[in-house]
Amino acid sequence: MSEWIAFRFLELIPKSYLGEAVAFLFFDTPKVLLLLTLVVFIVTFLQTFVNPTRVRDALSKRRPGLGNALASLFGIITPFCSCSAVPLFLGFLRAGVPLGVTFSFLVATPMVNEIALGMLFAMFGWKIALLYAGTGVAIACTSGLILGRLHMERYLENWVQGALTAPALGEVEEEQSTLPARFDLAVQGVKEIVGKVWPCILAGIAVGALIHGYVPERFMASLLGKNHWYSVPLAVLIGVPLYSNAAGVMPIVEALLGKGAALGSTLAFMMAVIGLSLPETIILSKVMRPRLIAMFVGVVATGILLVGYLFNAIL
Amino acid sequence: MLIEVFGPGCAKCQTLEKHAKPAAEQSGGDHQMVKVSDYAVMVARGILSTPALALDGHLKFQGKVASSDEILSLLKA
Repeated sequence: MSEWIAFRFLELIPKSYLGEAVAFLFFDTPKVLLLLTLVVFIVTFLQTFVNPTRVRDALSKRRPGLGNALASLFGIITPFCSCSAVPLFLGFLRAGVPLGVTFSFLVATPMVNEIALGMLFAMFGWKIALLYAGTGVAIACTSGLILGRLHMERYLENWVQGALTAPALGEVEEEQSTLPARFDLAVQGVKEIVGKVWPCILAGIAVGALIHGYVPERFMASLLGKNHWYSVPLAVLIGVPLYSNAAGVMPIVEALLGKGAALGSTLAFMMAVIGLSLPETIILSKVMRPRLIAMFVGVVATGILLVGYLFNAIL
Repeated sequence: MLIEVFGPGCAKCQTLEKHAKPAAEQSGGDHQMVKVSDYAVMVARGILSTPALALDGHLKFQGKVASSDEILSLLKA
């Protein structure tokens, strides 16, 4: 269909740069938007069953190890927006969740993005989706264990110590939800998320289309291929400043893989884009001293690099 | 009734505030609306995700941008 539009209707020449780019554009736009709608609906519906309060209670007083693993897994599905990072961080610590376990959660939430996971599953199959989730959880778990071991509590801002021990005020009511209400929330989620991210997706598809149409087949392989030591750090360096939505990065991933970029480098690129975000780091600097922020970013970045190298080596 | 809207000032929190205003006006009665953006207060109140809304000290929901209608029905309840 997309080939018909590109090659017959617009009379572009197959195998020409422009022709291939336009075909990608028409093929990918409806596909990605439809998949995204479906994924967001399912994810938002499932998320009505999880809330941060329950996760916090499940994690409080957990020992490092199991606690880190649970926190990383919960991090995947718990609904989270970066402006909630501070209250969540403080609330966890206050309830007795160890610092390292809290870090595992904070690393896993953005890194293993639930929507990215659903999109990967829908577009590339369960193996790549599982690889992404598995490595993300491993990074979150290990980062939390390391940061917990280092006893970084002293690098929290001073006011935080006070806030953690201040007496509780007011009461919290547990929300009850019915099945129709959960469906409503899922529909709302689709409207809100798809309504907001479609420009990101179009931008992602446009970049993907350019790569698909104009970048020579072997170029990506030589740049992000598995035989070069620099391909993984390069992918991370390109990825970090690119702050894109999880869904927007998918078409780029698709085009990169299609052009011979190695899977490890591509995964590293994707994790850097989604997992290490500048806005979240800035928000967290309100509670953490620069040294702790630097450790946090450093440990996570190292984890992403290791994953990239590992998969380039074994696949 | 005391209506408290909690949030650090992100887009979602501002939207919730915008939804709460007409709801307060429609429900009639004497309402006082306060915006709370102090993290220390949020933590003490048990808030983990923003935006959140409390009525007379009871936290009604968090991590959600409720519609005006939803807030109105909470005010009437």
